[in-house]
Amino acid sequence: MNGGVVTGGWNFVVAAYSITVAVLAIYGVTLITRLREERLRASRDANAK
Amino acid sequence: MSKRLFLAGGVLLALACYFGLGVTFADEYLHADLSLGLPVVARTLIAFLGGLAAMILFFAAEDFEDLTQPRTLIVAGIIFMLIGSYFGLFVAPPEQYMGETQRIMYVHVPTAWFALMALTLAFVSALVFLFRGSFRWDARLEGSIEVGIVLAFLLCCQGSIWAKPTWGVWWDWDPRLTTTAVLLFAFIGVLALRRFVEDPLKRAIWSSVATIIAYVDVPIVYFSVKWWNSLHQQQSAPSTVSKPFWIPLRANAFGILLLMTGFIMLRSRIAALRVENERPPLMEEAV
Repeated sequence: MNGGVVTGGWNFVVAAYSITVAVLAIYGVTLITRLREERLRASRDANAK
Repeated sequence: MSKRLFLAGGVLLALACYFGLGVTFADEYLHADLSLGLPVVARTLIAFLGGLAAMILFFAAEDFEDLTQPRTLIVAGIIFMLIGSYFGLFVAPPEQYMGETQRIMYVHVPTAWFALMALTLAFVSALVFLFRGSFRWDARLEGSIEVGIVLAFLLCCQGSIWAKPTWGVWWDWDPRLTTTAVLLFAFIGVLALRRFVEDPLKRAIWSSVATIIAYVDVPIVYFSVKWWNSLHQQQSAPSTVSKPFWIPLRANAFGILLLMTGFIMLRSRIAALRVENERPPLMEEAV
C-alpha cells in the first residue's frame, strides 16, 4: 500500500487465477470420472438383470 | 425438439454476446459503432436477459442420454474464459487505486454471480420437484447444489486472495463474507443430508425442503452490502465500471455461465443414473 494505492500484487493475481483454473479443472475431471463409473455400474446392473 | 431448443439457446447466447461483448470490443478497439442506436442500459439488459434465457433453453433442451450438449457448453465456456483471462491479465489497464490486484475482480465477480445463480436453480428445482414429483428435478437439484458449492468455495478463495493486499487480512467477519460462509456451509449441509438418507423419495423431499430453507440466505448475501455497514464494496453497474474493464468481466461471465450450465448437466446425469439404480420398480411407475 502506498498513499492509499495498492502497489505490486501480481503474485496475488496469479494465485487467484491459478486457483480458479485448478478448482474448475479438477471438478470437471471428477465429473467425467464419476459419470463414467456410474454408467459402467448401470450397464453392469442391466446385464445382471 | 431437444436440438431445436439447444440451437435457440445458442442463438440467444450469440445475441447476448453481440450486445454484451461485440459492441464494446468494436467501440474500444476498432472505434466502430455497432450499437444499432441502443443505449448502454438497453444493451446490458439484452446481454443479461439473453444469457439468462439461453441458460433456461439449454436446460429445457437437456437430454439425459446425450453428452454432446454439456460438452459443447463446457468447451465454449473454456474459450470464453481464455479470452476473458487474456484481456483481464494482459490488455486491461491496472485500476487507479487497487492497481494490478483489481484483475482478480474479472474472475471473482462472475464466480459470485453464478454461485448465486446455481443455488437459485437448486431452489427452482426443489420447488418443481415438490409440485411435480419428477426425479429429473431431484437430479437437477443435486447437480445445481454441488456446482453452487464449488463456485461458492472458489468465491471465498478468490475473495481472500483479493482481501489480503487490499484490506490487509485474509478474512474478516463482515456481513457479506459471513453470510457467504453461512451459505456455503448451509448447502454443504443439504448435500450431507442427501448422503444420510437412503430412501430416494424421502431424500428428494427432505433435501428439497432443506434447499428452500437454505436459499433464504441467498437474498441476504446479495443485499448484505446495502443493508449493513459492510467492508465489502457495493454492487457495481456499467455506469460505475470503466469501459476497458467490461470485456474481461463480461467474457469471463459468459464463460462461467456456460461452464456452470455444462457442469450442472453432467452432475445431474450422475445423480439421475444413481437414482435409477436405487429406485424400486413401484416408484418408477409413480414418477
